[in-house]
Amino acid sequence: MPEAILKAQGVHTYIGQHHILQGVSFEARSDAVTVLVGRNGAGKSTSLKTIMGLLPPSQGSITFRAAEIQRKKPYEIARLGIGFVPEDMGIFSNLTVEENMKVAMLREDRETLRRLEAITDLLPDLGKFWTANAGNLSGGQKQMLAIARAIVNETALLLIDEPSKGLAPIIVEALIDTINRIKEHSVVLLVEQNFHMAGAVGDYFYILDDGLVVRGGDMEELAGDEALKSRYLGISAAVEK
Amino acid sequence: MQTPVQMYRIGRKKNRFKGAGFFLKVGTLLFLIATPFLFPSFKIVDLAMNIIIFSVLVASFDILLGYTGILSFAHGMFFGIGAYCVALLMGQYGGPSYVHLALGLLLGVVAAAALALVISFLSLRVKAIFFAMVTLAIAELAIVLATKLSGFTGGEDGISLNMPGIFAVSHHMGHFLGIEIGGRIFTYYLILFGSVILFFLMIRFTHSPLGRVLQAIRDNTRRAEALGYKTFIFQVVSILFGCVVASIAGAFYAMWVGYVNPESCLGVMTIMLDVLLMVIIGGMGTLYGAIVGAGLLKTAQTFLPDLQHLAKIVFPHVAFIHQFLERWLLLFGVLFILVVILFPKGVIGSMREYMARRT
Amino acid sequence: MAGALAAFKKRSGEVSLAAAVVLFMLPLLWIPGKIYLTLTIAGLAMGMLIFLVASGLSIIFGLMDVLNFAHGALFAWGAYTGFSVFKLMRVWVGADSVLKNVGVFSVAVAAALLAVAVLGMLLERGLIRRVYGSHLFQILITFGAMVVLVELIRVFWGPNDEVIVQPLTFRGSWDMQGVIVERYRVLCIMIGLLVYAMIQIVLKKTKLGTIVRAGVENREMVQAMGHNISRIFTGVFAAGAALAALGGVAMSVFDRQVYPDMGGTYLLFAFIVVIIGGLGSITGSLLGALIVGLAYNYVAYLVPWAAAAVNVLIMIIILLIRPTGLFPAGG
Repeated sequence: MPEAILKAQGVHTYIGQHHILQGVSFEARSDAVTVLVGRNGAGKSTSLKTIMGLLPPSQGSITFRAAEIQRKKPYEIARLGIGFVPEDMGIFSNLTVEENMKVAMLREDRETLRRLEAITDLLPDLGKFWTANAGNLSGGQKQMLAIARAIVNETALLLIDEPSKGLAPIIVEALIDTINRIKEHSVVLLVEQNFHMAGAVGDYFYILDDGLVVRGGDMEELAGDEALKSRYLGISAAVEK
Repeated sequence: MQTPVQMYRIGRKKNRFKGAGFFLKVGTLLFLIATPFLFPSFKIVDLAMNIIIFSVLVASFDILLGYTGILSFAHGMFFGIGAYCVALLMGQYGGPSYVHLALGLLLGVVAAAALALVISFLSLRVKAIFFAMVTLAIAELAIVLATKLSGFTGGEDGISLNMPGIFAVSHHMGHFLGIEIGGRIFTYYLILFGSVILFFLMIRFTHSPLGRVLQAIRDNTRRAEALGYKTFIFQVVSILFGCVVASIAGAFYAMWVGYVNPESCLGVMTIMLDVLLMVIIGGMGTLYGAIVGAGLLKTAQTFLPDLQHLAKIVFPHVAFIHQFLERWLLLFGVLFILVVILFPKGVIGSMREYMARRT
Repeated sequence: MAGALAAFKKRSGEVSLAAAVVLFMLPLLWIPGKIYLTLTIAGLAMGMLIFLVASGLSIIFGLMDVLNFAHGALFAWGAYTGFSVFKLMRVWVGADSVLKNVGVFSVAVAAALLAVAVLGMLLERGLIRRVYGSHLFQILITFGAMVVLVELIRVFWGPNDEVIVQPLTFRGSWDMQGVIVERYRVLCIMIGLLVYAMIQIVLKKTKLGTIVRAGVENREMVQAMGHNISRIFTGVFAAGAALAALGGVAMSVFDRQVYPDMGGTYLLFAFIVVIIGGLGSITGSLLGALIVGLAYNYVAYLVPWAAAAVNVLIMIIILLIRPTGLFPAGG
């Protein structure tokens, strides 16, 4: 059984008075893509934000490479090797693509520059629009930039929140490609509502509903189970064919 | 069949004449009525009068801050407007007569209402932080204008005025119960009476349906809008009300002190800082907190010279303490910061929270 | 018609600028040309000094979403630190030597920058940190801090106005064919332009500046990318405070005096500038400051008592027609 690079156990998170995560437990296994699926409001984004330290958990523990990180600040967590691509992509629109990458690069050593080169090979659009304002990029390009920023450092774990949201199907295909390439180097923990995407890249899944994990297992298992999909993922799953 | 809300309201109405709160309020009122007779010294009566006037002013500020959620640094200016209007009509451009007094009050109210309209429109246009800055700028401008247009306003020297008829300082009527009855006492009771009415109006305002909507707006503007309330009308009405009351408080001040000038009536460091201190110490959004805040602060200010004297006796060689106490504004500033950090709810606010937790 | 309107809105920054330039030529109708030029230099100089104060305020608000009412007090502290340096080194101040004059001025500036940067750091760590997220409490706490800081000036330096002696090199004026141009005013304009250029360089060409600009847009994301935003905040606050201090020293030599409440007037100007120019925009602060400085000087010559009022009026007009300021995007 491959080891888990990230373990969340019994995590409770409040946003204001709302009890969003009510004791979630899941793992991200090394060298694989784990997907968190579930309806709107189930707590998927909140889970990622809690791991990243952007929302403090009131209870529970989160361990990354056997070290507890639930009390750490976001910048400390990032420096441990966790990259984050939020739902709104978090692109700095008033900065150029180059400047966006500059903010992302924690060190400008040879390793990082090598990675940067590999990224621009993988995503040629970034090179093309290098000096353009990031705000002028298309939705798909912004998503690529957001991912590029998150992996230019030595990222052991990549957290991505709903990357396919609002993107045209052809872009989603390119995205699937990219993520499949990334998973050769980093562990990926993905949140998705689009089941096609989840099925195409995911190896393991967890279903979140009302702040709790209700099922987990191999992706093939979920792919075949129509009843499960329609129950926890809503009607959208049935339409996903 | 009555709804739970209706039953709650009826229950509250029934109980409002019982309980510690009620006794405290009535007790304070009786105490203020009896003050001139309990303490023949003018210093104490003056202190009481200041507490009364500032309670009204601070409560009107609380309507803006605590109930509507708006911080306006121009509130001291409205106080000054009321004071100046009375002073102008009774001192500079008229004389001590009831007609002039009434006109002065009226002018103050009208001017305040007009300016309050301008300010309320500004508040709707811009975010809270801009609004605070703008009101500060306007307040400072008012001081500059009052000082520079000295032909009209008496400039830095200010304006003196006298009350008419039986309220005139020079009016004497003999003695009663050991104290001198004259213009001063009548003025005291006149202003006390007026202040009680104003305070009562403010309480009714906050308990009215309008007041409740205001609190909903303060707590969550979008939800209130979604519920169909035209929030801006409520805000405008609330600001108008608060500023007009402030102006009347200013008029009372002019009537009692008999002298106005830019520093004492319009000054940001003088009036506005005091008001802020009082509302924070007393408790935002409580109205009664204004009385507590005004009471504590004005008493401290009145007895500060005595405290300084005491310090000189007790610590005759520690010059630092003398220096420190001399800079009373410094003390108040430090006190203000401490209260904002440690007791942001103020006296009444903390008490209410404590009582709520016990039930 | 709709197309023209849309085009107008897009270039509105430039249009406002053009309108402003036209507006500022208007006084020529009432003021003779040579005096107009003198007043223009005076206005630009005053504007530059206000820019120094306003730029700090603007950056702090743009990045940290904090409105610092104590900014004027930091300005005053800078001025008083400079005053102390001048007192200590009064021989150099009075000396008839360019080197010594410039030297003592530089020491005064350096001391003020250092002292107030430290003060700014203490302020941010001790007070401002507690009230992030609540504008109301920020306003209250920084207002209180302002009162305390100004009173401390009275405690340490005394409540009286103090005279600042202008070093010899800075005194006097040039007579350019009837137009009187004061030397120190030109120096102020140069200092202002230099500071503006430096800020732009730091913001646009250094990594730290890029991070700050990114933080202005999305604080949370910058944190999630591995940068310690609280330390950056403290640094930015200290830098903004230092800018105010520089303004204070320069202004005190300009005015030839320091007095405890000097922060108040300039704080007001800074607020007006920041509203006119747009919060978070350095270029906006510069242009807004120049507008305020020029307007004040022209009106002061024509209708003395209205000088202060004119700027409040401009501020209210801008608030009513374009609440985000002339250059809202930042830059």
